[in-house]
Amino acid sequence: MLALAAAACGSSPSSSGTSHGPITIGVSVSLSGDFSGDGLATKQGYETWAAFQNAHGGILGRKIQMDFLSDGSSPTQVVTNYQKLITVNHVNFVLGPYSTLLTKPSSVIANRYGYVMIEAIGGGPSVFQQGLHNVFDVSASAKYQLITFAKWLVATHKPEDVAYASMTDPFLQPMLDGARAYLSAHGFTSVVYKLYPLETTDYTPIASVIAASKAPVVVLGTMPPDGYAFIQDFIQDRYSPKVLIEASGPDQGTAFVKAVGANNTGGIMVPNTWFPGSTYYQNSAMVSLYIKMFGGTANNISADVAEAFSAGQVLTQAVDHIKSTSNSALEHYLHSGAMFQSVQGPVKFLPDGENSAATPFVFQWQHGTLEDVLPAGVGHPVPILAVKPAWGAGG
Amino acid sequence: MLVLQAIIDGILVGGFYALMAGGLTLVFGVMEIVNFAQGIMVVLGAYLSYALFTHLSIDPFLSLVITMPGMFLIGIAVYWSMIRPIKQDRVIMSLLVMFAVGTIAEGILDLVFTSNLVQISTPYVNNSFTVGSLIFPDIYVYAFLMSVVLLAGVYYLLYRTRFGRSLRASMQNPTAARLVGINTDWVSAYTLGIGVAMAAAGGMVFGLTNSFDAASSYDLISRLLAIVIFGGFGSLSGALIASVLMLVIQDVVAVVWSPTWGQTTFYVILILILLVRPQGLLGRKAVRAQ
Amino acid sequence: MTAIDVTPTGAAAPEHIPYEPPRQIRWTGTGLLLVFLAVFPLLFPNPAVTSIAVITMIFLVAAIGWNIFSGYSGYISIGHAAYYGIGQYTVALLAMHAKVPAGWDTFGLLPVAGLVCAVAAVPIGYVVLRVRRHTFIILTVAVMFILQLLAFNLVSWTNGSGGLEMSFPTWQGSYFNEPFYYVGLVAAVVACAASWWVRRSKYGLGLLSIRDDEDRARGLGINAARTKLIAYAISAFFVGVAGGLYAPFIGSVYPQFGFDPTFDLAVAVLVFVGGIGTLSGPVIGALLLIPLQQYFYLQFGNANLYLIAYGVLFILILRLLPAGIAPSVTQLWRRVLVARRRAAARSRAVPALAVQSSAVQSSAVQSPAAGPPEAPPATAAVPQAGGDEVAR
Repeated sequence: MLALAAAACGSSPSSSGTSHGPITIGVSVSLSGDFSGDGLATKQGYETWAAFQNAHGGILGRKIQMDFLSDGSSPTQVVTNYQKLITVNHVNFVLGPYSTLLTKPSSVIANRYGYVMIEAIGGGPSVFQQGLHNVFDVSASAKYQLITFAKWLVATHKPEDVAYASMTDPFLQPMLDGARAYLSAHGFTSVVYKLYPLETTDYTPIASVIAASKAPVVVLGTMPPDGYAFIQDFIQDRYSPKVLIEASGPDQGTAFVKAVGANNTGGIMVPNTWFPGSTYYQNSAMVSLYIKMFGGTANNISADVAEAFSAGQVLTQAVDHIKSTSNSALEHYLHSGAMFQSVQGPVKFLPDGENSAATPFVFQWQHGTLEDVLPAGVGHPVPILAVKPAWGAGG
Repeated sequence: MLVLQAIIDGILVGGFYALMAGGLTLVFGVMEIVNFAQGIMVVLGAYLSYALFTHLSIDPFLSLVITMPGMFLIGIAVYWSMIRPIKQDRVIMSLLVMFAVGTIAEGILDLVFTSNLVQISTPYVNNSFTVGSLIFPDIYVYAFLMSVVLLAGVYYLLYRTRFGRSLRASMQNPTAARLVGINTDWVSAYTLGIGVAMAAAGGMVFGLTNSFDAASSYDLISRLLAIVIFGGFGSLSGALIASVLMLVIQDVVAVVWSPTWGQTTFYVILILILLVRPQGLLGRKAVRAQ
Repeated sequence: MTAIDVTPTGAAAPEHIPYEPPRQIRWTGTGLLLVFLAVFPLLFPNPAVTSIAVITMIFLVAAIGWNIFSGYSGYISIGHAAYYGIGQYTVALLAMHAKVPAGWDTFGLLPVAGLVCAVAAVPIGYVVLRVRRHTFIILTVAVMFILQLLAFNLVSWTNGSGGLEMSFPTWQGSYFNEPFYYVGLVAAVVACAASWWVRRSKYGLGLLSIRDDEDRARGLGINAARTKLIAYAISAFFVGVAGGLYAPFIGSVYPQFGFDPTFDLAVAVLVFVGGIGTLSGPVIGALLLIPLQQYFYLQFGNANLYLIAYGVLFILILRLLPAGIAPSVTQLWRRVLVARRRAAARSRAVPALAVQSSAVQSSAVQSPAAGPPEAPPATAAVPQAGGDEVAR
């Protein structure tokens, strides 16, 4: 314990007070445990942002230095990590970790030390119900994620049967419930509604219940693994719904194509806060820099990357505006109703920290690429395929 | 019909769970050690088949010709380096040592393959055939058949060969086995090798039917342990029956009630069974004194 | 059989070598440790350090509690997170429905959380304690998973996967952790006292005899079922208190972090490293391992390197100190003492030494309760270490 205490104290950089050293930004990232896949993408997003911004003069003329700690997807560790970042490493700002589960305790810590927490991947309702004034989510919050899709469905289809299934998760479930409430209010019948635990590895029974219902519309609150599995099961069950939307999975680029097969992707939809071809602020620069730094193609960039990048962008604009590293000035300014730009589109904060300007997109796989299809009038959407092609009918 | 479909799904998936759990129960039966690393061994097997498939385009089923002997050797190495030196309190100490081995293996796998989820996706992974209105995914049928063949092979090895006799002798009375000249150390080493090789085969199927990363091992090991306890420690057929029962119960509950209650139901049944039969379904009767 | 009887105690002096360091050394050591723990936050007030210290205290209370049952009875429970979770939910629900204000008042709920757990432990213990060994281990895990699944599924009570929030005290960041730390320390001292009492009481002797040979203990007229159940409930009480402290510290309760399977492994591991079934083992294990673990996490930004380092270290400890730190140190101390006495005896050239048979000595170490009356229950004993063969 002694050795630790000494080491913890000794490792604090002396740069805290100076205004000429780099601006340090602390983040706890989940590099192992349940969120490890997304945690890595989140870290890469922040790294891409720091590299980009540093190539463009940093913030307030100072270089950005990222300070990452790993939390193993555990709230216990996340609490320790943010305290270390703030009180030992004396970072100038903190940005959010991955997931609602971890954002909640870490925003409390940030609040305790008077730090603002700009986050992009913790949009579950519980984050905003804490009564904190220091949390700002640059992405669309959970209950609005599927709203663009639901509105489109109501506008273009007469009421039909809908099958819902979701993982019990503080982000996914509110997302699904949001869509279900809207659709039910507009006459769509909910014929299947199944919740399943995180530990589920065999999705075939749930898939076969949905297949048996022959519902033409399927809405799934999935993470990538179950997102892939459901499609695989539907194909095996020879059940091809007319409309299929999954919370995540189809947004995973080549990983998704590899998992479900290129011929089966056509028509599958996914709500998203970002896409590689977006014309939003600094997006093309981010995409090319990411590919330069981490390899791959634009299509295999995870949305987590863009979300993390957006959090950085909002921080950049706000700090450049207030011209200081004061967290209280930052909090005040973020609450002022100012509009910010990000790779995910405009950002404007409600008093509870939700982004009121967020326009959740809907994307659809068409001919082997994930195309921006909704909403009409934002960017350059491609016409939507109202009916999903049959399995195997090509991308 | 849905229930019947769920039962069939449960049986098919249960087959390859039996393969993974069989390795665990065999090792326990012979050595009284709990191979807590079996979960990560399954994941290792999945990664090996994945790597051979993506880099050398070797079909996953064919890759077993390479991965199973490879993992067999790993099992032997783990025995001599980790299990053999344990002098006392084998059940608990082996559990802790194998937990540590699993942690190290998880770290290494994470380092080599990163924590991005991957899945082995062969062209035939989405195929299925129908009998009446029942659907049989090809991959599950192949996996089930392979599991049955491998389990039968292990069964033959146990009950029809000289090695099997010495293995069973070591299982029943290690001291007496040593007295009649059986090298129980090598028997144990081979057994762990076989157990881990079974994990390699199970892992290949796991990698074909699930997307996975190194952290997938935790869910796996808790299921496998439950199966082994349910079936009775040391019993191969018990593991098979318990795997199938577990999956059938979960799938049927998921269909008729809710997936969230599937696992709860299984655990409740597990507890009830154990209260009546503490040694599990087919476990050896004598539960040793504490 | 065990590593213990390999020690050159075979030819030990006939006068009794005590099984643990003399009283004054133990009390001085305990006192020094207490003083150190009491002033620790003053020496290292940095919140990052005190945050680790709070987590350490929480695990310390849980470890001592876990050891009261699993260490003394020999029944290894890997499902005590059941009570960690019940403790968390109890505090969160009570704070919410009884409108307990955040801050010091919340700590008043800790004994309640403990009691709720102890009461819950009675029916659960009644069921799971009917089986032994690995079946028991898995049964405890199963119970824990059932409770976790219930926490997920009984949404109207627990808010399911959304979890419960606790309002947080308005204490300043610079001394926010200290109240939690000191409350944790008090709980740990109480837990230690309980553990000490169990260890020294007649009731505890019954418990230890169950660990050594349950069937023989029954034969001696011990009501094994009741004895185990009481220890199980006491143990649940302290694990519940630990959970009750964790919930307001983190500020939220989730099914998977309340009924957390890794919590049990962590607690079992640190008690084993410290020395299972001993009074000081859980203390040493928790004070050493939890900070070390958190330190590793902070040092290795790369989680996979952390996993490898932790695994290697763990194997080294198991290999070098198989009985745990506390017994190994005691053993070392005895070996030194024996060597010194033997040297003294040799110089006096007493021929009667050879009378002492190694068999007697080893069985005394093996089952302390059945040993010579002057030997207090030995800290050096490893539970059921190869005890099967001995008993038969």
